[in-house]
Amino acid sequence: MAGGRGERLYPLTKENAKPAVTFGGIYKIIDFTLSNCLNSGIRRIYLLTQYSNATLDKHMHLAWDIFNRELDEFIDNIPPQKVNVDWWYRGTADSIFQNINILERERPQHVLILSGDHIYKMDYRKMLYFHQAKQCDLSVACVEINKEKAHNMGVFEVDDAFRIIGFQEKPARPRSVPWDRSKSLVSMGVYVFKTERLVREIIDDAKRESEHDFGRNIIPRMIKKRSVFVYNFKDETKGEVAYWRDVGSLDSYHEANMELLKENPVFDLYDTDWPIRTYQEQAPPAKVVLSGDGEGLSRGVTINSLISNGCLIIGGKINGSILSPFVQIHSHCRVENAILMKGVTVGQHARIRKAIIDEGVTIPPHYTIGYNLEEDRKKFTVTESGIVVVPQGFIVD
Amino acid sequence: MEQALKKILIVDDEESIRILYKQELEDEGYEVLLATNAYEALEIVDKESLDIMVLDIKMPGMDGIEVMQKIVGKKNNIPIIINSAYPHFKDSFMTWVAEEYVVKSSNLQELKDKIKELLNKPPE
Repeated sequence: MAGGRGERLYPLTKENAKPAVTFGGIYKIIDFTLSNCLNSGIRRIYLLTQYSNATLDKHMHLAWDIFNRELDEFIDNIPPQKVNVDWWYRGTADSIFQNINILERERPQHVLILSGDHIYKMDYRKMLYFHQAKQCDLSVACVEINKEKAHNMGVFEVDDAFRIIGFQEKPARPRSVPWDRSKSLVSMGVYVFKTERLVREIIDDAKRESEHDFGRNIIPRMIKKRSVFVYNFKDETKGEVAYWRDVGSLDSYHEANMELLKENPVFDLYDTDWPIRTYQEQAPPAKVVLSGDGEGLSRGVTINSLISNGCLIIGGKINGSILSPFVQIHSHCRVENAILMKGVTVGQHARIRKAIIDEGVTIPPHYTIGYNLEEDRKKFTVTESGIVVVPQGFIVD
Repeated sequence: MEQALKKILIVDDEESIRILYKQELEDEGYEVLLATNAYEALEIVDKESLDIMVLDIKMPGMDGIEVMQKIVGKKNNIPIIINSAYPHFKDSFMTWVAEEYVVKSSNLQELKDKIKELLNKPPE
């Protein structure tokens, strides 16, 4: 599923579909789900796209044109075809309904449905084994989170055998899990359906007044009359709750990026057992240099940061930040807790903190961002937690 | 006050079937509309308020499965009975859009029973 508008990530989704938004300097958000597929041996994938997908298409072509159709492996991009209906995808369930002919042709026993906009590492094979062992109609992957954080999510109530017995949408008082009163189970947007059950449910839904959404419509109806189980997503080796982030809002996007910068992050990009694939264009190595001399000397210093290839740090201090390829930082700059997308240039003596600067933006010398939010609000998007977002194509003056 | 007759649309490319069904179902007290192909059927669906549609699958041009795909979501409240000479379409996912599947037979009792059943089905 890669068809959401990503409205809460605006303006990062001004030019890009949400799955095509850059994450962690060099990746696109969709790379994490697709890498999970690749690492789980799932190589027959339909990507359901809809809004502003030109950049997503390009990325798919550059990074993911790796499967061998002669071996019946593929990732096929399926935007709305409008063959039998006059509308676009009206919801996640409708996007499957409109492509029922594909299921007809493929006739798989089970269908794995994934969201293309979450950050996590998951071996989907384990969930498939679980689903087959339970012989259930539907398995929903969930993570345990602190109860107080569950109020704006879909919360499941389960019995001791993980069978779903209740569902709450954005509850004021989230139900806790039977084994820990401080935790609630929330959906990851990862589902395994028996194919025939899936087809019957989406047809039934298509005939109703509905938002045609798995989370809001299909699953709440199914738990009343079908066997629906939670697959409790945990770190296999540590037995702890595994890392999963919905980077749906600018604040959660910024926070999840910043989490990568810890010395031992829970989500480790350097884990060779679970490689994350992407496309990187040709670029020279990142370079960090001293600039000037005497009193004008500016040391290029980077701490707790991800610096991509092609970056030039000509003096200036970078702390707790993520720099995509071809970012240029000039002397006496200070960049803190910021995400600088591809090709951003920061002029001399500029200061940036708690900000997201989108592709290609030039910050003029001596400019400040993130130090006076009242001033920043006059020009830019400023989030609830005070992150300033400078959109692609913005001329800062 | 006299109750309006329940309105049934028969979609079938065979004239003899249309004539037979019209006669038999009118005798049962229904108002019967006829469509000779999928395009006519879609026009009638747009104009009329129907209580049930009896739909053939194999027709020249657009078939019954496509008709169902086009009307689901648009006029999503019309119960459909597939009425085909072939039982094997039952396996096709799109025929699951229909409420019932009745294989054609010279005896119309099963079809009449299904129509009655669907018309008397309480709304969910």
